[in-house]
Amino acid sequence: MASVTAPRRVDRSGSFDPGPIFFIGAVVVLAILVIVPIGWLLLISLQHVDTGGFTFGNYVEAFTKSIYLRPIVNSFMLATSVATLAALIGTPLAWLIARTDMPGRTGLRALITAAFVTPSFIGAEAWILLAAPNSGWINRTIASFTHADHGPLNIFSLGGAIFVMALYNVPYTFTFVAGGLELISVELEDASSTLGASAWRTMRSITLPLVMPAIVAGFIMSFLEALAEFGTPAFLLIPARTQVVTTQLYLFFQFPVRTELAAAYAMPLIGVTLGLLLLQRRILGRRKFTVVGGKGGKRRLVALGPWRWPLLAAALAVPLCSVILPYLALLATSLSRIWSQGPVPGNITFYWYHWALFENAPTRLAIFHSLWYGAAAATIATTIAFLIAYTANRKLFPGAQALGIVCMAPFVVPGIVLAIGIYAAYSHPPLLLYGTAAILIIAFTTRFLPIAYSNLNTMVAAINTDLENAARTLGATRLRALRTITAPLLRRGLLASWLLVFIPAIRELSSAIFLFTPRTATMTTQIFDFTDAGNYEAVATLAIIILAITLVIVSAAYRLLGRDFMEKTST
Amino acid sequence: MTTRGTFVRSAAALGAGVAAGSPIASLATRKNQVTDADVSALYAAAKKEGKVVWWTGHYTQAAAEKIAGAFKAKYPGIEVELLRQTGQVLFQRLTQDLKSNVHQVDVFASTDEAHMTILKKQNTLAQFVPGDIDKIPKEYQHLDPEDTYQLGDIALMLINYNPKKLPAPRKWNDLLDPHMKDLISMGHPGFSGYVGNWVVAMNDKYGWDNYFKKLAQNNPKIGRSVFDCTTDIVSGERVVGPGADSLALERKAAGNSIAIAFPEDDTILVTAPVTVLKEAPHPNAARLLMNFYYTKEYSQTAASTFNLPLRLDVPSPTGVRIDRMRTYHVKIERLLGGIPEVTAKWRETFNV
Repeated sequence: MASVTAPRRVDRSGSFDPGPIFFIGAVVVLAILVIVPIGWLLLISLQHVDTGGFTFGNYVEAFTKSIYLRPIVNSFMLATSVATLAALIGTPLAWLIARTDMPGRTGLRALITAAFVTPSFIGAEAWILLAAPNSGWINRTIASFTHADHGPLNIFSLGGAIFVMALYNVPYTFTFVAGGLELISVELEDASSTLGASAWRTMRSITLPLVMPAIVAGFIMSFLEALAEFGTPAFLLIPARTQVVTTQLYLFFQFPVRTELAAAYAMPLIGVTLGLLLLQRRILGRRKFTVVGGKGGKRRLVALGPWRWPLLAAALAVPLCSVILPYLALLATSLSRIWSQGPVPGNITFYWYHWALFENAPTRLAIFHSLWYGAAAATIATTIAFLIAYTANRKLFPGAQALGIVCMAPFVVPGIVLAIGIYAAYSHPPLLLYGTAAILIIAFTTRFLPIAYSNLNTMVAAINTDLENAARTLGATRLRALRTITAPLLRRGLLASWLLVFIPAIRELSSAIFLFTPRTATMTTQIFDFTDAGNYEAVATLAIIILAITLVIVSAAYRLLGRDFMEKTST
Repeated sequence: MTTRGTFVRSAAALGAGVAAGSPIASLATRKNQVTDADVSALYAAAKKEGKVVWWTGHYTQAAAEKIAGAFKAKYPGIEVELLRQTGQVLFQRLTQDLKSNVHQVDVFASTDEAHMTILKKQNTLAQFVPGDIDKIPKEYQHLDPEDTYQLGDIALMLINYNPKKLPAPRKWNDLLDPHMKDLISMGHPGFSGYVGNWVVAMNDKYGWDNYFKKLAQNNPKIGRSVFDCTTDIVSGERVVGPGADSLALERKAAGNSIAIAFPEDDTILVTAPVTVLKEAPHPNAARLLMNFYYTKEYSQTAASTFNLPLRLDVPSPTGVRIDRMRTYHVKIERLLGGIPEVTAKWRETFNV
C-alpha cells in the first residue's frame, strides 16, 4: 500500500501550486490592515455613543459647534500657508541646485535630504529652544544687543508653526521641481533666447510653465502633510491657544473618550486628501506627457557669474534653519545637565545619553520598540506590496488590480485618522490588539504600505516575464519562480521599499500617540511624554538618537541604492 | 491568573497566621490594616512576581525615579516599572485599557480624587489599608470610607515666581493685575489634576467670569502639566504662575531664580489618591508598593525631593507644617462634577 501511495503523493505535491493560498493569505492580511480599520471608522462615525444605533448626530455635533469649527478653519489656514511658503522657498532652491553653477550644490542636496528625514515635531522642539519669546537662544542673543525685554521672535504662534512646518516641507517641492528641471531639455530655452527673449522672459514663459505641474504637486503634498501633522501643532499651537483639527482629535481622545465624534470629525480629512491626490495625479500625468514631448536634450548649467556666492548664502539660509541650527540646539541641550543654564563649562555632560541608553529602562525599551516595530512593519509591508504588485501585474485572477487600489487606499487617510480607525477596530474582541505590539505594527504597516506598493509596482511592471515563463515551462511552481527568479531580480527594489517604510516608521508620532500604552511606548511617544513638565534634556537626547539612527540608515542606503532612492517617497 | 491565585492563597495563610497569634506588637488596630507579618508575606510573594507597574501623576520624573529607587532598596528583587504623566492623561489611558479589558497597571496614583470615585463605581479597585496609616494627619486617614483608595500625596497649589523680576505676589488676585500681562504660565485642567483642583477652587471662590475671564486677558502661556509653570519660570520664558511647591523648591535649591509664595487667600491643598487595581497583574507587589507609601523611607525620600512627607514624624522641606498653613481643600463631592465643568469652561475661555 505504502509503496503505491507514496509516488502518487510526490506527484501531486509536484503539481500542487501553493501560490493561491499564499495570495489569499496576503488578501486577508490586507483586509486586516486596510479594509477593517477604514470600515470601522465609517461605521462608528454613524453610531450613537450609548446605544450603538444608527445616527447622524456625531456629524451634526462635529460640524455645527463653533468650538469644533474654528480648528477646521485654522487647519486650512495653516496648511495653505505652509504649502505656499514651502513652494516659494523650494522652487528657487531647486532651480539653483539643478540648473546653475552655484557652488556647494552637492552639500546642499545632502542637507535638504537631512531636512527631509527630520520629523517636523523634532524641528519644532528645537525651535522652542531657539525662539521661545523670552528664553529662546536667538531671542536672548538679540535682546542682549537691543537691550529689549525680550527678543522679536515668538515660536508659539500660528506664524511660528507655519515657519517650522514649511521648513520641513521644502524638500517636497524641491524634489518634485528639481526632478522636473532635470528633465526639461535645454533646446526649448535655447529656442526662446535665439528668438530674442531675455533670460527673465525665457524663465517666465518657458521654464516656469514647464515645471508648474511639479510645483503644484509639491504644493499639494505639503498641504496634505501640514493638514495631517499632529506633533508640531501640539508643541507650538497648544501654548499659543490655537487648535487645529489634529489637536482637536487628540482632545476627543481625552477622558471621556469620544471615538464616535472623533471618527465623524476626521471624515472630511479623508475627503480633502482623496480629492487633492486625484488632482495631483492628473497634474503629474500631464507633466510626464510634456516631458516626453520635449526631446531629452543635454542640460547646460546657467552661469551665475558674480551672483554665485550671494545666492549660495541665500540658499544656505534654508538648511541653516531646518538642519544646522536645530541640530546644534538639540545637541547642546542633550549635552547640558540643566538646559536653561546653556552650554557653559560645568554644565556639559554625557549624563543624559547614559540615562537614555543604560539607566532608564523605559527609554531603552522605547528605542528597542521603535526599531523592532519599524522593522516588522517594513518587512510585512514589503512582502504584501510585492505579492500584490505581482498578482496585479500578472493578473493572476479576475479583479486582481483592485487589490492594488486597496494597497494605495491608506495614502488618502491621514495617520491620525487611520489610528482612530485602527483603535476602533482592534480595541475589543474578536481581535483585541490594543495594548500589544501588534496594533502599532499594523498602524505603521498600513500607513506606509502605499509607499512600498507604488515603489514595487513600477518595478514589477518593468520586469520581463520571459525568465519566469521559462522557469514555469521547466516545471517550477509559481511560488518557486517568484522566489528564485522575480525576487532576486527585484533585490534592490525590495531593499529600497523596506527602507522607505522603516525610516518613516521609526519617526512616526501621529498614529502611535493614539495606540501606544506605556508598555509599547516608542521613541516618539517618549519624546511627547517628556515634553510635558519640561524635560527638555531628555527630549533632546532622544531626538538626537532618532536623528542619528535615521541618518546612518539613510546614508548607508544611499551607498547601496544610489541617490535617487529617497525621492521615491514623494511619488 | 496564577499570580492572583498565589495572592489569594497567601492572603488566606496570612489570615490564619494572624488568628493563630502573630507578634502582638504588629497587630493592626484598624479593620484590614496590614501588619508587619503581612508585609513580609507580601514581600515573599512579590519577589516571585518580580515587578510592579506604577503609574503616577505625583512628583516630577526625577522624584518619582528616586522613590522607585527607595522602594527597590528596601525590597530588592522587585523591579519598578514607572510611568509618570499628568493625572488626566494616565486616567484616560487607564480607562481606555479597562474598557478594552487590558490589565497592565498595579498601582495607580492620580492627582484628581474624582478619578477614584469613577473607578470605584466600575468596581475596579481593590480594598487596602496600609500598615502605618495612623502616622499621617488624622483628617486624611479615611479619604475613602470603603478603603478602596488612600491618600498618596499632599500637594500644594501656590504661586511660583521669579524673585529677580517680581516682588512676591500676595494673593491669587494679583495674577489678574494688568502688569502681569504676558508674564504668566500655567498648566491645563484637561491634563493636570492639580491644575484642575486649583481651577475649581478659584472658580468657587471668585466665580468664573471674575477670575478666569480676567486672567485670559493677561495672555497666559498654557502648557499641560502643573510643572510647566515652574519650567517656564526657570527658563526665563515667563515670570509667575500657579504652580506646585515641590519642583519650584527643587529648582531653587539647584540655584535657579525661583520662589514660592503662600497666597493670603489660601494655599490650595490637593489630596492626591493612590490605589491598587483589582485586576493588578502583580497583586502582591502592588500591595507592597502601596504599603510603602506610608513608611518612613518613603516620606524621607519625598521630603528629600521637596515633596511634602505624608508622615508627621518626618519634617517638611519648607519647615512649615501642613497644619500651620492657611489651606483650602476642594472636597471630593465638588471635584467630581467640578473638574469636567471647569475644563469645558476653560476650553471656551482660553480656546485650548
